[in-house]
Amino acid sequence: MSPLAGTRPRWLALAREEARGLLTAKGPWILAGLLVVWGYRPTYVGWQGLGPNQTVGFVQTVGSFLLPLGVLLLSYRSVVGERTSGSLKFVLGLPLTRSDILVGKVLGRSAGLAVPVSAAAVVLGIVGFVRFGIFSPLLFCGVLLATLLYVVTLVSIATAVSAVTTNTVRAAGAVFGGVYLFFTVFWTRFAELIYTFLGGPSTGSFSAPADGLFFALLRLSPGRAYRVLTNWLLGVGNSGAPYDAVITKLETPTSITIYTVESAFGGQTPPAYLHEISGLVVLLVWLVVPLGIARYQFQRGDLV
Amino acid sequence: MTNPAIETNGLTKQYGELTALDALNLTVDRGEVYGFLGPNGAGKSTTIGLLMNYNKPTSGTARVLGLDPWTDVVDCHQQVGILPDRFDTYDDRSARRHIQLVADTKRADDDPVGLLERVGLGDAVDRPAREFSQGMEQRLALAMSLVGDPELLILDEPFTGLDPHGVALVRDVVESESERGTTVFFLSHVLGQVELVCDRVGILHHGQLVDEGTLSAFRERLDLAADATVEDVFVHLTDGAVDREETPR
Repeated sequence: MSPLAGTRPRWLALAREEARGLLTAKGPWILAGLLVVWGYRPTYVGWQGLGPNQTVGFVQTVGSFLLPLGVLLLSYRSVVGERTSGSLKFVLGLPLTRSDILVGKVLGRSAGLAVPVSAAAVVLGIVGFVRFGIFSPLLFCGVLLATLLYVVTLVSIATAVSAVTTNTVRAAGAVFGGVYLFFTVFWTRFAELIYTFLGGPSTGSFSAPADGLFFALLRLSPGRAYRVLTNWLLGVGNSGAPYDAVITKLETPTSITIYTVESAFGGQTPPAYLHEISGLVVLLVWLVVPLGIARYQFQRGDLV
Repeated sequence: MTNPAIETNGLTKQYGELTALDALNLTVDRGEVYGFLGPNGAGKSTTIGLLMNYNKPTSGTARVLGLDPWTDVVDCHQQVGILPDRFDTYDDRSARRHIQLVADTKRADDDPVGLLERVGLGDAVDRPAREFSQGMEQRLALAMSLVGDPELLILDEPFTGLDPHGVALVRDVVESESERGTTVFFLSHVLGQVELVCDRVGILHHGQLVDEGTLSAFRERLDLAADATVEDVFVHLTDGAVDREETPR
């Protein structure tokens, strides 16, 4: 035993097994392959806006739609699956608190998914470098870090749902119906409806209201928050839409149906809370709050 | 150490209207092999669930090795080995990795190969558990329970799926662990095996401990023949309980 063994957190062993399980499974590597194919989308407008840094934009494309689907798919069973199979009885019998178990699950699975996702980004980086020349490595690392934060956040959300549901079907419904479809894929539409319901004028992206509340609502989606953050790093604009769409809207005469703070507010100064850093804040809230609520219930409840 | 291995006071668990465990008062002394018997649904697994912090009690208290099983989870589980009932192993992981996980969280330096050899899985150390038969899974779980030389060994239906060699193995393990001073809390409805290994048995019925003692004391007190088995005692006591309940007042 190493002299440090007594100080290492006990959940580390659990996290290591979670990570190992993912890294030796096929699923995460199939996802990585699909992410490369999905992410490689050179566009004229992307080149026009970013030059060789368009390659970094590919990483954002990787992080949109397919990545959350894959990460949620590979995480929603993490607790409830063990609960229904009975292997949770071993984990619960270990000298770990229930909070330790959740922490080990989230960090272990995040590590096990961060590796294939990073590998996909690196492959895209190499392809982009060969095709379009040298890009900013610092920018690449920044967007990759943001993407990995998004991965941890998604794992945390899925684990939270997994910890408080009693069967896998319900967990799947909550994760795909609630988190993926509602909050990620169709959130823009729901945000418009909620805004109108709250008394705002009916909105369309051609007539975006110069209202901080509406834009704040929009970026409550983890997916849009991730893109607000990465669009900021890429320097294309203050928006939760894909980077190439933001460039199209702001840099070309073409008008397209997306929301950007710049186009909605025109010359006015938008409220300070719409600063792009809000994307980071929203991601951190999604990382901490659902898991915190789940922990509260997971600690008190009957698990077998 | 003077505190008992397991001590419960008025331990109660209700699931809605159903009372799974009804004010259980149980004391298991250090170093004894205690057989906890009862028909299916008597509340045996509920008791384990509470003692292992799988579930929380409706009321009552419990001490495991002098610790609160719901708040001192880490210290408590550090000294407890559990072979759960109706468990599942991890399909993709080898037997070695199963042992290693327990060893690493317990900060124990057990040799996985040695432990697996002890339970007869020496030739399956690096095979994934998905290839295991039920008996092999049971042996693996037994090995996992022994990691870190626990003070208290909880074996919940340990004979499930075992062939006669496996049954003999469990008995040997219980005997040798008991000789080392380990307390063994043994749950089973396979009564014939219980009398071979247990110092004392407690009989649980409808969520209550209806009686406990040594087999010879039972024979004497219940006026049973000298060759009466645990089975006879069990039938005598649990039928009695049913009768008491069903007799109109």
